[in-house]
Amino acid sequence: MPFTYNTPEDEAAMLAAIGVGSIEELLEQVPADFRLDRPLRLPAALGEMELDAHTRRLATRNASPTSHACFLGGGAYDHFVPAVVDAIASRGEFYTSYTPYQAEVAQGNLQAMFEYQSLVTRLTGLDVSNSSLYDGATAAAEAVLMALAASKGRTEVVLPDSLHPEYRQTIATYLSNLPGQVVTLTTPHGVIEAEALRASVNEQTACVVIPQPNFFGCIEEADELTRIAHEAGALVIAAYDPISLGVLKRPGDWSGEGAGADIAVAEGQSLGSPLQYGGPYLGMLACRESLVRRIPGRIVGQTTDRRGNRCFVLTLQTREQHIRRDKATSNVCSNQGLLALRATVYLALLGPTGLRETAHLCLQKSHYLAEQLCQSGRFEKVFAAPTFKEFVLRDRQADVAGFINDGLEHGFLAGIPLGRWYPELADCVLISVTEKRTREELDRLAAIVSSTRHGDAIAAHSALQTA
Amino acid sequence: MRNIHDTQLLFDLSKPGRRALRLPTCDVPVQPIETLLPAGAIAEQAPALPELAEPQVVRHFTNLSTQNMSVDSHFYPLGSCTMKHNPKRNERAAGLAGLGDLHPYQPESTIQGMLALLYDLQEFLSEISGLPACSLQPAAGAHGELTALWVAAAYFRDRGEQRTKVLVPDSAHGTNPASAIMAGFETVTVKTLKSGAVDMEDFRAKLDDHIAVFMITNPNTVGIFEPAMRQIADEVHARGGLIYLDGANMNAILGVTRPGDFGADMQHYNPHKTFSGPHGGGGPGAGPICVTEKLASYLPAPIVVKRNDDNQAPVYSLDYERPKSIGRVRSFFGNTGVLVRAYCYIRTHGPDGLRRVSEQAVLNANYLLSRVKHFLPVPQGDRCMHEFVASAKQLKTERGVSAMDIAKRLLDFGVHAPTVYFPQTVPEALMCEPTETESKETLDAFAEMLFRITEEDPELLHTAPHTTAISRPDEVAAARQPTLCHCG
Amino acid sequence: MKPEELLYAKTHEWVAIEETDGGKTATIGISAYAVESLTDLVFIELPKQGRTVAALESFCEVESVKAVSDIYSPVAGEVTEVNTPLADALEWLSDDPYGAGWIAKVKITDDAPLAGLLDYDAYQKMCAEEA
Repeated sequence: MPFTYNTPEDEAAMLAAIGVGSIEELLEQVPADFRLDRPLRLPAALGEMELDAHTRRLATRNASPTSHACFLGGGAYDHFVPAVVDAIASRGEFYTSYTPYQAEVAQGNLQAMFEYQSLVTRLTGLDVSNSSLYDGATAAAEAVLMALAASKGRTEVVLPDSLHPEYRQTIATYLSNLPGQVVTLTTPHGVIEAEALRASVNEQTACVVIPQPNFFGCIEEADELTRIAHEAGALVIAAYDPISLGVLKRPGDWSGEGAGADIAVAEGQSLGSPLQYGGPYLGMLACRESLVRRIPGRIVGQTTDRRGNRCFVLTLQTREQHIRRDKATSNVCSNQGLLALRATVYLALLGPTGLRETAHLCLQKSHYLAEQLCQSGRFEKVFAAPTFKEFVLRDRQADVAGFINDGLEHGFLAGIPLGRWYPELADCVLISVTEKRTREELDRLAAIVSSTRHGDAIAAHSALQTA
Repeated sequence: MRNIHDTQLLFDLSKPGRRALRLPTCDVPVQPIETLLPAGAIAEQAPALPELAEPQVVRHFTNLSTQNMSVDSHFYPLGSCTMKHNPKRNERAAGLAGLGDLHPYQPESTIQGMLALLYDLQEFLSEISGLPACSLQPAAGAHGELTALWVAAAYFRDRGEQRTKVLVPDSAHGTNPASAIMAGFETVTVKTLKSGAVDMEDFRAKLDDHIAVFMITNPNTVGIFEPAMRQIADEVHARGGLIYLDGANMNAILGVTRPGDFGADMQHYNPHKTFSGPHGGGGPGAGPICVTEKLASYLPAPIVVKRNDDNQAPVYSLDYERPKSIGRVRSFFGNTGVLVRAYCYIRTHGPDGLRRVSEQAVLNANYLLSRVKHFLPVPQGDRCMHEFVASAKQLKTERGVSAMDIAKRLLDFGVHAPTVYFPQTVPEALMCEPTETESKETLDAFAEMLFRITEEDPELLHTAPHTTAISRPDEVAAARQPTLCHCG
Repeated sequence: MKPEELLYAKTHEWVAIEETDGGKTATIGISAYAVESLTDLVFIELPKQGRTVAALESFCEVESVKAVSDIYSPVAGEVTEVNTPLADALEWLSDDPYGAGWIAKVKITDDAPLAGLLDYDAYQKMCAEEA
């Protein structure tokens, strides 16, 4: 152990009080044949200085968005995190506390979660939010389970190919032993087509998940799609990007104010959380009032104390596993409270103008880069649909790996190859541009593409001459 | 120091025109938004977020923070949650550029350091559990349970076996039965005895060939090592079923015994408990699972693998080619930030240090038990592992003082309450887990407080706490007429 | 209704039987003892009108802040009427459990389960033993 608390004298006194001769004697509660008769095969302990050196060495073996300009997205984004977010989230009173079971000594967390819920309802235009789930994918899966339970008897879940592939895989796993079936909607043009959706929904459809913007960065025709799903009696689950709500219509308002999505889920990492290789992130889930008793996870409510002061408590807990056990709305217990706190601080700092400006910068810069890359001649846009901060380009040289490697050499994490999820898009790359990227970086990335094309042309030319 | 004046909501502090963050001006040619986005998709107005200045935001959240008890500031013997000290060195490591800022879709060649760390963590967790295969993907303990049950379901499906039931002791965490239902099983509750041990008669009556999994917490939720562990594992295995070990209480047995050695086929870890990843006001956690060889091929993909070519540095990669895998249980790799902290914890403790963690956790719990049992009976007996459950039943009957009254009064003494009313099998339960990172002085003071409280005027206790900013919130009103947001 | 004139299930529901055009209809509620032991109810999930219930099948749920309790139909039959306003007036359960606090009416299709119900005295005795 890196520190010792009980001194040998303490230990002796404690053992005497217990009435045993040694700690070993206490451990005899574990039957002898189960006891490990050797030390664990683990590396010997490091001191703090050694750990520091060791972890720094590991870190230097990685490239990162700190060392390389990051154009990777696909559900996790290199947005700016203001210093205040880190300062608040690294206060021990927040990050070393736990679930607010004793409201009197957890008003800080409870009020912050109430504020988080309030911000999420304002962002989405829906009535209620929980106080977080694991990530966007599990929030989407939980929303699907809510919809199945709410639409008693309906069993089909319509998922478009334009929804994040890992969200689709997660939902499939969640449904693997339950009575719901996935109906896949192909999106050859990068967005859901109204006619295709109309043909996929029927009286068996429990819900349709509509991503906005979708995995390809494209804007779906959310108004029309919502109307079609609702006409079939299905619930609409929006999977949105919270930053995009600086310019895009709120899910709750799709197809008309207050007439939109029934449940809205999101990956909230963009709201002030570091990338940290995939997690912990923030699963956001909000819904209409009528679904409140089907919400998974913790919810904070406002009330008064015995002296009449406004205060906050965990509420509607009978939905949850610790009370309802096998009839709970979900098994979720630990959530992502600290990440929800980060999102709350982030949104408080940005305000309406900051969110709008951030969204505008993403929108303008991503369009600028797409144009520059296409002008190089090497890339072309794959989908005609409008985009927000991400876009898919086809590499005319069909050398996505080469593009990414060239990018790395020049200090860029240039894009995500799509072939892993979409074999038909094996020559395509998904590129994301946040407000952090500067014109200088965008121009430099475009220049690499132009110069390699130029280089290739020269190589081809000289190859011809040699021949 | 707490500023008692500042409890306004963010929304109350808002004033039109205030700004906290200045964004750079757009340095690319600006195109009219209408030319980039379809009119129908554009929001008519910005979301109704509060408008605040930076000093307000800082003061608001700083003041909120001071209304929390936390491990950094208070003794927090919340049973079953393992509220141990969170070493700051781990926080620093997890935040390093090159570890804390990696994008999940970076090429593998650019994250060899991170993959090496995660590969080693898989190996460490397998060694500590005695179960050879590991998935780091699940996001929390309950998520690990669910993942393991999906693994079990896939295993039985692959073998063509129809098994529909999961056995869960009545003292188990609620997550166990809830996870079983989500994985498509029905739950069968097994009774436990007053000692906390599984009622073997009831267990045998309920064991049949339809049992897929027995989910057992060991040490169990009253903090005793299951005396019939051997028989339970043997009898479940003899019927072709699997044993799932809820790893919530691993802090008691690190290096002492291994779940794989006492019959478990699968287990999850709570790194935020056992390996000191902080609890974050309710999360994040992580829920890595370890399983036996025969279940390995069903684990979620990807898993980190290592290739050693001759005379070359090892190369790490993500293995997605797992045809029998249950698939993904979430997006991206896992709650890596929490896993990095767990890695640091294991590296700074080593084999001897980890065992010492459990030894000291068990010593502290037994010492506290020996002091408390004289005035608050502990139905399970005189010994425990890392925690114990005292009962205020007698006090309730004799003086009308409930476990809740005691819990609330402890807050006045500057100590977080133990877990109350869990497990439901112990009346007026007070579940105390001191952890290894508390001193004898703290435990002595806590025992004295508890004793003093049991002697206090019941009226004083019914209205406690008296020194906190708020006291006894009206939970009935909160649930009857829920106010769940400050709506704009 | 007078509690002394009602029948009771061991699970603490009360039943009033009335003869209706050739059949029997049961009015069902929960006893004052049950309401008191459930403490501070916050929510009721009422049964759906028109559903059929088996005797001793759970057909309704009441929630306090930290507990959920099933309410079982003491009789077998079809739910013909539901006390819908009760959902917004939970205080009726404690203020008037045998009157305004009734939960549902069930048209009985099988008389057999009625034999298993307790009269007032037997129910009082059972409660006394439980306490």
